[in-house]
Amino acid sequence: MIWIGGTLVSRGKGGVYGERMIDGMRIWDPYRSKLAAYYYLGGTLDLLPEMRVLYLGAANGTTVSHVADYVEVVYAVENAPRPMRDLLAVAGRRKWIIPIMADATVPETYASMVEGVHLIYQDVAHPGQVEIASKNSPFLEPGGKILLMLKTRSIDVRRSPEIVAEDAALQLESRGLFIEQLLWLAPYHKDHAAMLCRREDGVSGAEGSNGYSPGK
Amino acid sequence: MSFYWFGEVSDDCCVPCQSRDPESLSRRLEGIRVEMTNFTPLRWEMAVDCGFISTRQEYLGLLREVCMFRADQQISRDSQIPDRELIQMVRMLDQIDEAVNLLTERAVEWHAVLDPVFSRKYRELRGKSAIDLIRQGESAALREVVQEMERIYVLRASLAKEISGLAEKILPNCTALAGGLVAARLASDAGSLAALSRMPASSIQVLGARTALFSHLRTGSSPPKHGIIYQHSRVHNAKRGRRGRVARTLAAKLAIAARIDWFRGAADPAFLEVAQGAVNRAGGKP
Repeated sequence: MIWIGGTLVSRGKGGVYGERMIDGMRIWDPYRSKLAAYYYLGGTLDLLPEMRVLYLGAANGTTVSHVADYVEVVYAVENAPRPMRDLLAVAGRRKWIIPIMADATVPETYASMVEGVHLIYQDVAHPGQVEIASKNSPFLEPGGKILLMLKTRSIDVRRSPEIVAEDAALQLESRGLFIEQLLWLAPYHKDHAAMLCRREDGVSGAEGSNGYSPGK
Repeated sequence: MSFYWFGEVSDDCCVPCQSRDPESLSRRLEGIRVEMTNFTPLRWEMAVDCGFISTRQEYLGLLREVCMFRADQQISRDSQIPDRELIQMVRMLDQIDEAVNLLTERAVEWHAVLDPVFSRKYRELRGKSAIDLIRQGESAALREVVQEMERIYVLRASLAKEISGLAEKILPNCTALAGGLVAARLASDAGSLAALSRMPASSIQVLGARTALFSHLRTGSSPPKHGIIYQHSRVHNAKRGRRGRVARTLAAKLAIAARIDWFRGAADPAFLEVAQGAVNRAGGKP
């Protein structure tokens, strides 16, 4: 990751959402982006130039645009039409962002377009966040990782974020996704946990999907 | 055999798409679902082996074109849904009300400074009557502000009429039961008519009572009896003891009405007669 005097930046043409620049680099604000917050808080997963990323919950393309600055290609999945307009505007001006308007709970609808990826980044406001991660895990290349931004409040507002996260971790493990790192994103984002997961079998995409069961 | 955006691949052969035109490639993907048990993600080299493209740049470039074309179409299809505009209109109306209330409050404060004997007590000073009072005041600047506010009142009235008319077309059954404004607000709070039509009656009953509902779930305080549907006269005019029952019945009938509105799109007189009767009985009327 590129840091300039303690500030996280990415290399790319500015002016996507009015972000500030230093030395011609785009400042990546941890208060606006959960992924930036993850790096500020010691996240270890680096974005590399040859990486292919499946981005679930691309929203307005703010974080997507920074990820695209670092990696080869981002497959950006977003389901809502309003943010999709913004995402299209971003994708039209950046090199390799592939915008896909689809529901991340139904990967069957975009599996004909998405190749094997090295990283699945997931930031969706949905009670079934664990289910979504598990359903999309067949897209992972061997050794690939899932970075799940767990919105505990979208899962259950009545229980404490810590308990929701523990529960999610157990559920992930039962689906063959093991947590390598858990970071709470406070003070940048409240009640959000970044969970870095690796798929246990990690041998090949085909074997990885053996544990997959359709439906709920 | 596996289905991909650039063609169909099986163990020993590959049939690439004939056309490289984003529109026809995108049309081919319409309604496609790829079975994901024992799934292996596609490799872009397959498209090269197929003879569909020759470089990585070309692969990504064409895929991006196809996906952008598709997304464009999906967005425009979405904005053709008729309730989209209705929902924006009713949100605008509610926001105008909020703004006008704030402005009125401030204008009354301003007026109070100019008129030392002014008191709010013992008079009905809501909305328009406050404006009427202030208009006779001394400050020219304040009078000018108030004139603008009156224009907003006129605007609000015509917008409300517009909404009722449109709601009658888009939500004929809901409108017949609860009135155009309430029907439009329900669709707005649910997010869309499609979402409203999929809601159980118990959710429709408490739409718009979010705070009360969550404080009920969190602390176990008593649940809300009604949300937006309280604005309908049959609910708020009902006797206290019966209000919950009227709200429940109205919500149950609205849930059916919303489904008829979404899936059929026309008023159903037979249903409406039965539904009106049920709501009236719940309110204690024969």
